[in-house]
Amino acid sequence: MAVDNEPRETFEDVDWDDIDETTRAFSRKTIVTIGAYMLFAVGLLYDYVLKPPRADTIEPLGISLQALDWLYILTLLTILVGVVVPLYENGRMTRYYWQQFRKNRAAVASLIYLGVIFLIGSIGPRFLEQPTVDPSNAYQPPVFTSAPNWLPVECAGEVAGGSCHGTWAHPFGTTHEGKDILVSVIYGMEVSMQVGLIAALITITIAAIVGVSAAYFGGWIDAALMRYVDIQITFPTFFLYLMIVYLYGGSLFSMIVIFGLLGWGGIARIVRSEALQRREEEYVLAAKNAGASGYWTMRRHLLPNVSNSVITAVTLLIPSLILFEASLAFLGLGDPTVPSWGEVIASGRSDLPNAWWVSTIPGIFLFFTILAFNFVGDALRDALDPRADGGDK
Amino acid sequence: MATYILRRVAWAVVASVIVLTLTFLLLYFTPDTQLAELQFQAAQAGDDPEAIGAAYESYHGYDQPIHVQYIEYMGNMLSLDWGWSETRSQPVTTAIAEAIPYSMMYAVPSVLISSVLGVAIGLYSATNQYTRGDYAATFFAFFGLSIPDFWFGIVLFVLFSGMLGWVPIIFDTTAATFSLENLAQFILPIVVLTLSSIASLMRYSRAEALEYVEAEFVKTAKAKGVGDWRVLTRHIFRPASVPIATILVGDLLGIILVSSYLIEVVFGIPGLGTLSFEAIMNQDTSLVMGTVLLPAFLTIIGNLAQDIAYTILDPRIEYGDS
Amino acid sequence: MGMEMEMEMGIGVSPVSDQPAAARTEAPLLSVRNLTKHYPITTGLRSKEVGRVRAVDGIDFDVYPGETVGIVGESGCGKSTAASSLIRLEEPTEGTVRFDGEDITQYDQAELKAFRRRVQMIFQDPESSFDPRMSIGEAIAEPLAVQGLSDASRRREIVADLLERVGLAAGDADRYPHELSGGQKQRVGLARALSMNPDMIIADEPVSALDVSIQSEILALMTDLQETFGLSILLISHNLAVIRQICDRVAVMYLGEIVELGTASEVFTNPQHPYTRALLASIPTADPTDRGMGIELTGDVPSPSNPPTGCRFHTRCPELIQPENYEFEQSTWRRVMDLRQKLDQGTVDVDAIREGVVTERESDETPDDVSATETKARLRDEFAIPQSLDDSRAESVLDAALDELVSGNPAAARERLATEFATPCESQSPTLEDTTAGQTASCLRLENELPPTELEQTVRSD
Repeated sequence: MAVDNEPRETFEDVDWDDIDETTRAFSRKTIVTIGAYMLFAVGLLYDYVLKPPRADTIEPLGISLQALDWLYILTLLTILVGVVVPLYENGRMTRYYWQQFRKNRAAVASLIYLGVIFLIGSIGPRFLEQPTVDPSNAYQPPVFTSAPNWLPVECAGEVAGGSCHGTWAHPFGTTHEGKDILVSVIYGMEVSMQVGLIAALITITIAAIVGVSAAYFGGWIDAALMRYVDIQITFPTFFLYLMIVYLYGGSLFSMIVIFGLLGWGGIARIVRSEALQRREEEYVLAAKNAGASGYWTMRRHLLPNVSNSVITAVTLLIPSLILFEASLAFLGLGDPTVPSWGEVIASGRSDLPNAWWVSTIPGIFLFFTILAFNFVGDALRDALDPRADGGDK
Repeated sequence: MATYILRRVAWAVVASVIVLTLTFLLLYFTPDTQLAELQFQAAQAGDDPEAIGAAYESYHGYDQPIHVQYIEYMGNMLSLDWGWSETRSQPVTTAIAEAIPYSMMYAVPSVLISSVLGVAIGLYSATNQYTRGDYAATFFAFFGLSIPDFWFGIVLFVLFSGMLGWVPIIFDTTAATFSLENLAQFILPIVVLTLSSIASLMRYSRAEALEYVEAEFVKTAKAKGVGDWRVLTRHIFRPASVPIATILVGDLLGIILVSSYLIEVVFGIPGLGTLSFEAIMNQDTSLVMGTVLLPAFLTIIGNLAQDIAYTILDPRIEYGDS
Repeated sequence: MGMEMEMEMGIGVSPVSDQPAAARTEAPLLSVRNLTKHYPITTGLRSKEVGRVRAVDGIDFDVYPGETVGIVGESGCGKSTAASSLIRLEEPTEGTVRFDGEDITQYDQAELKAFRRRVQMIFQDPESSFDPRMSIGEAIAEPLAVQGLSDASRRREIVADLLERVGLAAGDADRYPHELSGGQKQRVGLARALSMNPDMIIADEPVSALDVSIQSEILALMTDLQETFGLSILLISHNLAVIRQICDRVAVMYLGEIVELGTASEVFTNPQHPYTRALLASIPTADPTDRGMGIELTGDVPSPSNPPTGCRFHTRCPELIQPENYEFEQSTWRRVMDLRQKLDQGTVDVDAIREGVVTERESDETPDDVSATETKARLRDEFAIPQSLDDSRAESVLDAALDELVSGNPAAARERLATEFATPCESQSPTLEDTTAGQTASCLRLENELPPTELEQTVRSD
């Protein structure tokens, strides 16, 4: 705000020659963002190049970061920078979207549920040990329920009338190997979150860049990119992953990377058609008129305006990814080192009539997580992109 | 448009070739576990692992230069000589041919039922927007989309087989295709598969039909006093059936091919999915290849058919060419 | 297709300078020579060129410092394309554009970017000229940011100042485009253009999308800003009233070419080109004593991908030069020419004429029963040609041609009319030349110093 005795700067006061000469300064926001990514790069470098192999990444805490963990950190960082910060900056727009979103109560409940899952899934595994095999503890029923006493090897709770009762020591009971199901579920939350978010991020990034570039540049770039998308879409991703599993063994990292790298085609098409429409708008021409480069226009005008349809498409992609991973784990084709919900469900399959909790409880979590994403995605679509659902709401 | 179709077919062929080549390369560059096994055993027995290795390689033709192997491989693929299944002691193609009927037995009814029901419910939803029926249908759709079919499958299986005994536990291959016994053992897989397919079809047909429900010409027809049923069939269903039909081929195929693994494994059906799954478990490479490549090609063809149908039936849609 | 002309006898700001161009001693700020923009039409997989849309086909004009020049013409005449080509928003196919002495068509990317600061454009559609996700403050500041002013607080101050200068409040900077009216958005557009401190503003239909009542306000704002900051303005419009309100000099464009160019008073009070005259004559006036000519340009608007031969306006010109040996009444001649044109295109449907006769008579005759005489008479009616021309020789030619046409030999009819009723306007292209009235115009009548027609005389007294 200008002080009264100091004249306010007007456009005539700008010395353009001077500005042309001096190099551009970066805004504070840009500096912080670049700083964060550099920190990440340094950490990655340290872990893979500088640190002695086989040592833990952070010695004092005994934390060892794998490739998947680094990828997850990168994902979370990018979500923070690309989603949370812009939402905060465009406060009014965010508030408007939130009003729309709130109308769908199922979606709000889902969002809360997902938030809880995310928190527990992120914090839990840091403090809890991975579920350990403990044969003497097998088949404990969950708290508030009971099972016939011949089932568990040794009932941890009280025995009454031939039934073993559940205890708080194992609120969700244990598997046939004695692994605690609550811990398994919590670790499974992390796995599902990782699958969903990382693959989604890879997909968005590639789809957005490809779609916007194709739309903006047109010509042979557009033709070439779309040809490639045509081929990639016909590619059977699932079966490719199956082959890789067969040959190299299952790995969550490769699963996520393959899904991300091969699944973006459909969204790229959506992005492209949206961007094509925007490209014809006069404000794109106005930006060019101001001297904006292609990169500026794409980043500041095309990308934000297609982001709505991208977000809704991706939010609806995540549940199928999670389901995929669970299905593969169920079949035994997933990552054996990772405690996934699908795996736990599979392990309890033969015991369903008696030790029903082993398959059912993770199954319920899986179901609700997928359902929640679907609700949220649907509500997002109504809030952000009402035209896409074909009919006014 | 003819150029577009030709182009799409060409791309499908290219995609198939790429899939084949990728598979070949993957196999070529992966250490052969069987060979490693052989050499290990040879070393244990005191034989020369190198010699055994060389013999193994020349027997299988692995010592030839890569391009020779590649050509031989492609030739085999195209002439449907897909190798020999070690675990089942029969040609891969035979094994597949034996397994396919079982897969069809639940896939075909599922496709039929889910298409009819899915579209019908979707249309109903669209024309009765915001009614209780619509909400129920939408809820049903969400449920079907979200439920993990394998989990639902095992729950149903345990419920109806294990506890209630309505459905046989072990799959009986001797039952005649169109018999009641066969129906009994197939009813659950059909239900599970139908449920997930219906949901996505329903949502999509609802969205498509909505576009037409709001359309001017429908309102005109209603204003003219055309009966509701007629409006439904002639004015909404006809134009909406175009995009719906095109979705059918591609998506259903995709769902079924992937779900087949889960459903067959859960219910013990000796179809294509089980064949493939067991091949993976038993390290039967040729069989794995065959059972993975076949659905892969089917997917490619399905997508191709979908794209072409879309273009032919609804020339409004542009697809990549601007 | 009729012309879209709206007229308000609005209280406008009178033109600043009436000096004819020739008397200028200073150098022009903008000097356009032979500006050409063609779009190729391609087919097939390899994008083979099968034609060109000649949107702008070699135009020349100047804009001097501090003046307002208008380019007026129907939709599709190429004026908007000319504007975007001349500042290289689209790359011109040919021609040179000199700004402040330098040829900007030769600029590299860096120079072009710097040049953007000197000429800014205001766009037509307020709805789409702003990014719906950016506040108007950000929109105004965008050029500043693009050009390198990275200090956000400086930008904010400048934006606040600009908003006030265009008649809005500084606090409006946080509002979004959808919260503003059309007129307000155009003000923001002006602010955005001004932010660069340009020497010249190109306004492409700045008020066409606005309410009539707002239009004058915006135009007045533009001239105010022009005076305060010494801007030149290039105004593009199809609306003669708008042009008249603020322009010093005017260029009239038709189908990619400039057909008349002069000061506003010259062009409006004494138009030299038949097209200009027709444009002016078609404006309804508030003066009850002015009978007007009620001119309606007949004929279809030609496509810029296939412009007419010779003078491009000849297919619709009411003042077409008559063939040498014949003498028509001018309006009749125009209609005979229309018939010729339709015949050339092959769109004269004799069968339809016959059917029309039968339908009207409501008798049991078939179309074949209709006599040649009747058909010919009906044909004449269709084209509003009198049943008998004044010039008997012309009449016999016409009659013979109609005979040939009716008896199913259109080629012969075409041939006959083409030979006998040839006009220089269809084979020679006129060039822009100085006229005795002061402005420049391109018309063969002027080149050949033919006597004025009725139309000219009527409009002239305006």
